[in-house]
Amino acid sequence: MRLAVFQDLGVLEYKKALELQTKTLQAKIDQTIDEDYIFFVEHPSVFTLGRRGGKENLTVSQKFLAEKNIDVIQTNRGGNITYHCPGQAVMYPIIDLEKNKIGVKDFVYGLEEIMKLTANDHGIDAGRNKKNHGIWAGNSKIGSVGISVKKGISMHGIALNINPDLEPFSWINPCGLADISITSIEKETNKTKSVGKNYEFDMDRIKNAFIKHFSYIFDYIIR
Amino acid sequence: MKDINDLNLPEDLKYTKDHEWVKLSDGIVTIGINDYAQDQLGEIVFVELPETGDTFEKDDEFGSVESVKAVSEIYMPVAGEITEINEGLEDAPELVNESCYDDGWIIKVKPDDISQFEALLDKGAYIDMLKS
Repeated sequence: MRLAVFQDLGVLEYKKALELQTKTLQAKIDQTIDEDYIFFVEHPSVFTLGRRGGKENLTVSQKFLAEKNIDVIQTNRGGNITYHCPGQAVMYPIIDLEKNKIGVKDFVYGLEEIMKLTANDHGIDAGRNKKNHGIWAGNSKIGSVGISVKKGISMHGIALNINPDLEPFSWINPCGLADISITSIEKETNKTKSVGKNYEFDMDRIKNAFIKHFSYIFDYIIR
Repeated sequence: MKDINDLNLPEDLKYTKDHEWVKLSDGIVTIGINDYAQDQLGEIVFVELPETGDTFEKDDEFGSVESVKAVSEIYMPVAGEITEINEGLEDAPELVNESCYDDGWIIKVKPDDISQFEALLDKGAYIDMLKS
Protein backbone atom coordinates (compact mmCIF):
# COMPACT_ATOMS: atom_id res chain seq x y z
CA MET A 1 0.00 0.00 0.00
CA ARG A 2 1.26 3.47 -0.90
CA LEU A 3 1.11 5.91 2.02
CA ALA A 4 1.79 9.63 2.16
CA VAL A 5 1.69 12.26 4.89
CA PHE A 6 -0.07 15.48 3.84
CA GLN A 7 1.00 18.81 5.37
CA ASP A 8 -0.65 22.16 4.79
CA LEU A 9 2.10 24.78 5.16
CA GLY A 10 -0.29 27.72 4.77
CA VAL A 11 1.39 30.79 3.30
CA LEU A 12 5.14 30.19 3.32
CA GLU A 13 8.07 31.88 1.58
CA TYR A 14 9.34 29.99 -1.45
CA LYS A 15 12.86 29.62 -0.04
CA LYS A 16 11.58 28.12 3.21
CA ALA A 17 9.35 25.65 1.37
CA LEU A 18 12.29 24.73 -0.88
CA GLU A 19 14.46 24.11 2.17
CA LEU A 20 11.76 21.87 3.67
CA GLN A 21 11.46 19.89 0.44
CA THR A 22 15.24 19.49 0.16
CA LYS A 23 15.55 18.34 3.78
CA THR A 24 12.67 15.88 3.43
CA LEU A 25 14.09 14.43 0.22
CA GLN A 26 17.56 14.06 1.76
CA ALA A 27 16.06 12.36 4.85
CA LYS A 28 14.35 9.88 2.52
CA ILE A 29 17.64 9.22 0.68
CA ASP A 30 19.36 8.73 4.05
CA GLN A 31 16.44 6.49 5.09
CA THR A 32 15.85 8.43 8.29
CA ILE A 33 12.24 8.82 7.16
CA ASP A 34 10.28 6.26 5.20
CA GLU A 35 6.99 8.01 4.44
CA ASP A 36 6.28 9.96 1.30
CA TYR A 37 5.24 13.58 1.95
CA ILE A 38 2.92 15.95 0.15
CA PHE A 39 3.23 19.66 0.97
CA PHE A 40 0.42 22.10 0.17
CA VAL A 41 1.33 25.79 0.21
CA GLU A 42 0.72 29.31 -1.06
CA HIS A 43 3.77 31.50 -1.63
CA PRO A 44 4.16 35.25 -1.27
CA SER A 45 4.95 36.73 -4.73
CA VAL A 46 8.09 35.25 -6.29
CA PHE A 47 9.46 34.37 -9.71
CA THR A 48 11.34 31.07 -10.03
CA LEU A 49 13.62 29.81 -12.79
CA GLY A 50 14.03 26.24 -14.06
CA ARG A 51 17.36 24.39 -13.92
CA ARG A 52 18.11 25.62 -17.41
CA GLY A 53 17.17 29.17 -16.54
CA GLY A 54 14.53 31.43 -17.92
CA LYS A 55 15.80 34.88 -16.86
CA GLU A 56 15.71 35.86 -20.54
CA ASN A 57 11.94 35.46 -20.34
CA LEU A 58 11.57 38.25 -17.78
CA THR A 59 10.12 41.15 -19.75
CA VAL A 60 10.61 43.74 -16.99
CA SER A 61 13.84 44.92 -15.37
CA GLN A 62 15.35 43.55 -12.18
CA LYS A 63 15.05 47.09 -10.81
CA PHE A 64 11.31 47.06 -11.43
CA LEU A 65 10.99 43.77 -9.52
CA ALA A 66 13.22 45.05 -6.70
CA GLU A 67 10.89 48.05 -6.33
CA LYS A 68 7.97 45.64 -6.07
CA ASN A 69 9.99 43.59 -3.57
CA ILE A 70 9.70 40.39 -5.64
CA ASP A 71 12.63 37.94 -5.71
CA VAL A 72 13.78 35.85 -8.67
CA ILE A 73 15.01 32.45 -7.45
CA GLN A 74 17.05 29.82 -9.30
CA THR A 75 15.76 26.24 -8.82
CA ASN A 76 16.68 22.75 -10.05
CA ARG A 77 13.25 21.82 -11.43
CA GLY A 78 12.30 21.15 -15.02
CA GLY A 79 10.66 23.85 -17.13
CA ASN A 80 11.30 27.59 -17.46
CA ILE A 81 10.31 30.74 -15.56
CA THR A 82 7.10 30.86 -13.54
CA TYR A 83 5.37 33.03 -10.96
CA HIS A 84 3.91 32.10 -7.57
CA CYS A 85 1.70 34.26 -5.37
CA PRO A 86 -1.17 34.08 -2.90
CA GLY A 87 -4.31 32.71 -4.53
CA GLN A 88 -2.32 29.99 -6.29
CA ALA A 89 -2.56 26.43 -4.92
CA VAL A 90 0.88 24.78 -4.91
CA MET A 91 1.56 21.14 -4.15
CA TYR A 92 4.99 19.56 -3.69
CA PRO A 93 4.95 15.74 -3.55
CA ILE A 94 8.15 14.21 -2.16
CA ILE A 95 7.46 10.76 -3.53
CA ASP A 96 9.74 7.73 -3.86
CA LEU A 97 8.90 7.07 -7.51
CA GLU A 98 11.54 4.35 -7.76
CA LYS A 99 10.21 2.33 -4.82
CA ASN A 100 6.61 2.77 -5.92
CA LYS A 101 7.44 1.98 -9.55
CA ILE A 102 5.91 5.18 -10.87
CA GLY A 103 7.61 6.35 -14.09
CA VAL A 104 8.65 10.02 -14.29
CA LYS A 105 6.59 10.58 -17.46
CA ASP A 106 3.51 8.97 -15.86
CA PHE A 107 4.02 11.00 -12.67
CA VAL A 108 4.10 14.32 -14.56
CA TYR A 109 0.99 13.26 -16.51
CA GLY A 110 -0.79 12.31 -13.27
CA LEU A 111 0.12 15.63 -11.62
CA GLU A 112 -1.38 17.44 -14.59
CA GLU A 113 -4.45 15.26 -14.25
CA ILE A 114 -4.93 16.44 -10.63
CA MET A 115 -5.10 20.05 -11.86
CA LYS A 116 -7.41 19.12 -14.74
CA LEU A 117 -9.86 17.30 -12.47
CA THR A 118 -9.78 20.13 -9.91
CA ALA A 119 -10.63 22.65 -12.65
CA ASN A 120 -13.32 20.28 -13.96
CA ASP A 121 -14.78 20.16 -10.41
CA HIS A 122 -15.42 23.90 -10.85
CA GLY A 123 -17.19 23.37 -14.16
CA ILE A 124 -14.19 24.48 -16.23
CA ASP A 125 -13.47 22.64 -19.46
CA ALA A 126 -9.73 22.38 -18.82
CA GLY A 127 -7.31 20.02 -20.52
CA ARG A 128 -3.98 19.63 -22.29
CA ASN A 129 -2.68 21.81 -25.11
CA LYS A 130 -0.09 21.09 -27.79
CA LYS A 131 1.66 24.39 -26.98
CA ASN A 132 3.13 23.14 -23.73
CA HIS A 133 2.68 20.86 -20.76
CA GLY A 134 0.53 21.98 -17.87
CA ILE A 135 -3.23 22.43 -17.92
CA TRP A 136 -5.10 24.87 -20.11
CA ALA A 137 -8.56 26.40 -20.35
CA GLY A 138 -8.83 26.99 -24.09
CA ASN A 139 -5.71 28.88 -25.10
CA SER A 140 -4.92 30.14 -21.61
CA LYS A 141 -2.74 28.33 -19.15
CA ILE A 142 -4.33 27.68 -15.75
CA GLY A 143 -1.86 25.25 -14.12
CA SER A 144 1.85 24.47 -14.38
CA VAL A 145 4.03 21.49 -13.58
CA GLY A 146 7.78 21.14 -13.01
CA ILE A 147 9.66 18.53 -10.98
CA SER A 148 13.13 17.23 -10.29
CA VAL A 149 14.14 13.67 -9.41
CA LYS A 150 17.09 12.78 -7.19
CA LYS A 151 17.88 9.12 -6.43
CA GLY A 152 14.41 8.21 -7.69
CA ILE A 153 12.62 10.66 -5.35
CA SER A 154 10.60 13.62 -6.64
CA MET A 155 10.47 17.23 -5.49
CA HIS A 156 8.82 20.43 -6.76
CA GLY A 157 5.37 19.88 -8.27
CA ILE A 158 2.30 21.75 -9.47
CA ALA A 159 0.78 25.23 -9.24
CA LEU A 160 -2.86 25.88 -10.08
CA ASN A 161 -4.18 29.44 -10.32
CA ILE A 162 -7.27 29.78 -8.13
CA ASN A 163 -7.87 33.52 -7.61
CA PRO A 164 -4.48 35.26 -7.81
CA ASP A 165 -3.71 38.71 -9.18
CA LEU A 166 -2.71 37.70 -12.72
CA GLU A 167 -0.94 40.93 -13.66
CA PRO A 168 2.61 39.81 -12.75
CA PHE A 169 2.32 36.94 -15.25
CA SER A 170 2.38 39.65 -17.91
CA TRP A 171 5.92 40.54 -16.75
CA ILE A 172 7.26 37.21 -18.04
CA ASN A 173 6.91 34.85 -20.97
CA PRO A 174 5.51 32.07 -18.78
CA CYS A 175 7.31 28.74 -19.25
CA GLY A 176 9.43 30.51 -21.87
CA LEU A 177 6.49 30.97 -24.22
CA ALA A 178 5.68 34.37 -25.70
CA ASP A 179 2.10 35.23 -26.63
CA ILE A 180 0.28 33.01 -24.22
CA SER A 181 -2.18 34.19 -21.65
CA ILE A 182 -2.64 32.99 -18.11
CA THR A 183 -5.97 32.38 -16.48
CA SER A 184 -7.37 31.25 -13.15
CA ILE A 185 -10.30 29.28 -11.80
CA GLU A 186 -11.85 32.59 -10.70
CA LYS A 187 -11.49 34.19 -14.14
CA GLU A 188 -12.92 31.17 -15.95
CA THR A 189 -15.86 30.73 -13.58
CA ASN A 190 -16.67 34.43 -13.90
CA LYS A 191 -16.99 33.90 -17.65
CA THR A 192 -19.52 31.12 -17.28
CA LYS A 193 -20.90 31.68 -13.78
CA SER A 194 -20.73 27.93 -13.71
CA VAL A 195 -20.37 27.71 -9.95
CA GLY A 196 -22.82 30.47 -9.11
CA LYS A 197 -22.40 34.18 -8.50
CA ASN A 198 -21.74 33.89 -4.83
CA TYR A 199 -18.98 31.30 -5.02
CA GLU A 200 -16.18 32.11 -2.64
CA PHE A 201 -12.76 30.75 -3.31
CA ASP A 202 -11.78 28.52 -0.50
CA MET A 203 -8.27 27.02 -0.41
CA ASP A 204 -9.49 24.23 1.85
CA ARG A 205 -11.82 23.08 -0.90
CA ILE A 206 -8.92 23.08 -3.39
CA LYS A 207 -6.71 21.27 -0.88
CA ASN A 208 -9.32 18.56 -0.43
CA ALA A 209 -9.69 18.21 -4.19
CA PHE A 210 -5.89 17.81 -4.57
CA ILE A 211 -5.86 15.13 -1.85
CA LYS A 212 -8.80 13.26 -3.37
CA HIS A 213 -7.43 13.32 -6.93
CA PHE A 214 -3.84 12.49 -5.90
CA SER A 215 -5.12 9.53 -3.89
CA TYR A 216 -7.22 8.26 -6.80
CA ILE A 217 -4.68 8.80 -9.58
CA PHE A 218 -1.62 7.40 -7.81
CA ASP A 219 -3.41 4.88 -5.58
CA TYR A 220 -2.28 6.45 -2.29
CA ILE A 221 -3.70 6.51 1.21
CA ILE A 222 -3.07 10.07 2.42
CA ARG A 223 -3.17 11.05 6.05
CA MET B 1 5.84 1.95 -18.92
CA LYS B 2 7.21 -1.01 -20.86
CA ASP B 3 6.71 -4.48 -19.47
CA ILE B 4 9.99 -5.90 -18.09
CA ASN B 5 9.88 -8.60 -20.75
CA ASP B 6 9.77 -5.96 -23.50
CA LEU B 7 12.89 -4.11 -22.33
CA ASN B 8 15.96 -4.12 -24.56
CA LEU B 9 18.84 -5.03 -22.20
CA PRO B 10 21.92 -6.27 -24.10
CA GLU B 11 23.72 -9.23 -22.50
CA ASP B 12 27.22 -7.76 -22.85
CA LEU B 13 26.61 -4.68 -20.67
CA LYS B 14 26.69 -4.03 -16.93
CA TYR B 15 23.82 -2.17 -15.25
CA THR B 16 23.31 -0.03 -12.14
CA LYS B 17 20.43 0.30 -9.69
CA ASP B 18 19.99 3.83 -11.08
CA HIS B 19 19.17 2.32 -14.50
CA GLU B 20 22.40 3.15 -16.29
CA TRP B 21 24.36 0.86 -18.59
CA VAL B 22 28.14 0.56 -18.54
CA LYS B 23 30.46 -0.98 -21.11
CA LEU B 24 34.20 -1.61 -20.68
CA SER B 25 36.50 -1.38 -23.68
CA ASP B 26 40.30 -0.92 -23.66
CA GLY B 27 40.32 0.28 -20.06
CA ILE B 28 37.66 3.00 -20.69
CA VAL B 29 34.02 2.68 -19.63
CA THR B 30 31.17 4.13 -21.68
CA ILE B 31 28.06 5.12 -19.73
CA GLY B 32 24.48 5.87 -20.73
CA ILE B 33 20.94 5.38 -19.43
CA ASN B 34 19.23 2.12 -20.30
CA ASP B 35 15.98 1.27 -22.05
CA TYR B 36 14.01 1.18 -18.78
CA ALA B 37 15.21 4.70 -17.87
CA GLN B 38 14.62 6.30 -21.26
CA ASP B 39 11.14 4.75 -21.45
CA GLN B 40 9.99 5.86 -18.00
CA LEU B 41 11.48 9.35 -18.38
CA GLY B 42 9.65 10.07 -21.63
CA GLU B 43 10.84 12.38 -24.38
CA ILE B 44 14.25 13.77 -23.41
CA VAL B 45 14.68 17.46 -24.28
CA PHE B 46 18.06 18.26 -22.70
CA VAL B 47 21.11 16.45 -21.36
CA GLU B 48 23.35 18.33 -18.92
CA LEU B 49 26.91 17.01 -19.32
CA PRO B 50 30.09 17.35 -17.25
CA GLU B 51 33.33 18.55 -18.83
CA THR B 52 36.16 16.42 -20.10
CA GLY B 53 38.82 16.18 -17.37
CA ASP B 54 36.28 16.42 -14.51
CA THR B 55 36.75 13.75 -11.85
CA PHE B 56 34.05 12.16 -9.73
CA GLU B 57 33.62 9.60 -6.99
CA LYS B 58 31.35 6.59 -7.47
CA ASP B 59 27.65 7.55 -7.01
CA ASP B 60 28.36 11.28 -7.50
CA GLU B 61 25.86 13.18 -9.62
CA PHE B 62 27.62 13.96 -12.92
CA GLY B 63 24.77 15.51 -14.90
CA SER B 64 21.06 15.37 -15.54
CA VAL B 65 18.51 14.54 -18.19
CA GLU B 66 15.45 16.72 -18.64
CA SER B 67 12.41 14.99 -20.01
CA VAL B 68 9.46 17.27 -20.48
CA LYS B 69 9.08 19.28 -17.23
CA ALA B 70 11.20 16.86 -15.17
CA VAL B 71 14.93 17.08 -14.40
CA SER B 72 16.42 13.73 -13.30
CA GLU B 73 19.96 13.48 -11.97
CA ILE B 74 22.39 10.85 -13.28
CA TYR B 75 25.14 9.21 -11.24
CA MET B 76 28.65 7.82 -11.67
CA PRO B 77 28.67 4.00 -11.69
CA VAL B 78 32.42 4.08 -11.03
CA ALA B 79 34.91 6.67 -9.76
CA GLY B 80 37.14 8.21 -12.39
CA GLU B 81 37.96 10.95 -14.87
CA ILE B 82 35.72 12.01 -17.76
CA THR B 83 37.67 11.36 -20.97
CA GLU B 84 34.92 12.17 -23.46
CA ILE B 85 31.35 13.50 -23.51
CA ASN B 86 28.75 12.93 -26.22
CA GLU B 87 28.59 16.42 -27.69
CA GLY B 88 26.01 15.24 -30.22
CA LEU B 89 23.42 15.26 -27.44
CA GLU B 90 23.58 19.05 -27.26
CA ASP B 91 21.64 19.41 -30.50
CA ALA B 92 19.97 16.01 -30.48
CA PRO B 93 19.03 14.95 -26.91
CA GLU B 94 16.37 12.69 -28.42
CA LEU B 95 19.18 10.27 -29.35
CA VAL B 96 18.99 9.05 -25.75
CA ASN B 97 15.43 7.85 -26.46
CA GLU B 98 16.06 6.65 -30.00
CA SER B 99 19.38 4.88 -29.51
CA CYS B 100 20.20 4.65 -25.82
CA TYR B 101 23.02 2.06 -26.27
CA ASP B 102 24.69 3.53 -29.37
CA ASP B 103 24.35 7.15 -30.55
CA GLY B 104 22.74 8.08 -27.21
CA TRP B 105 25.76 7.23 -25.01
CA ILE B 106 26.48 10.02 -22.49
CA ILE B 107 30.05 9.94 -21.13
CA LYS B 108 33.31 7.96 -21.27
CA VAL B 109 35.33 7.54 -18.10
CA LYS B 110 38.80 6.29 -17.16
CA PRO B 111 37.96 4.35 -13.99
CA ASP B 112 40.13 4.69 -10.89
CA ASP B 113 39.44 1.10 -9.87
CA ILE B 114 38.33 -1.49 -12.40
CA SER B 115 36.87 -3.67 -9.65
CA GLN B 116 34.05 -1.11 -9.29
CA PHE B 117 33.06 -1.99 -12.86
CA GLU B 118 33.26 -5.71 -12.18
CA ALA B 119 30.94 -5.29 -9.18
CA LEU B 120 28.09 -3.79 -11.25
CA LEU B 121 24.96 -5.83 -12.04
CA ASP B 122 24.79 -8.18 -14.99
CA LYS B 123 21.55 -8.39 -16.99
CA GLY B 124 20.08 -11.16 -14.85
CA ALA B 125 20.78 -9.42 -11.56
CA TYR B 126 19.43 -6.13 -12.94
CA ILE B 127 16.17 -7.78 -14.05
CA ASP B 128 15.85 -9.41 -10.62
CA MET B 129 16.21 -5.95 -9.07
CA LEU B 130 13.48 -4.55 -11.35
CA LYS B 131 11.15 -7.38 -10.38
CA SER B 132 11.73 -7.03 -6.64
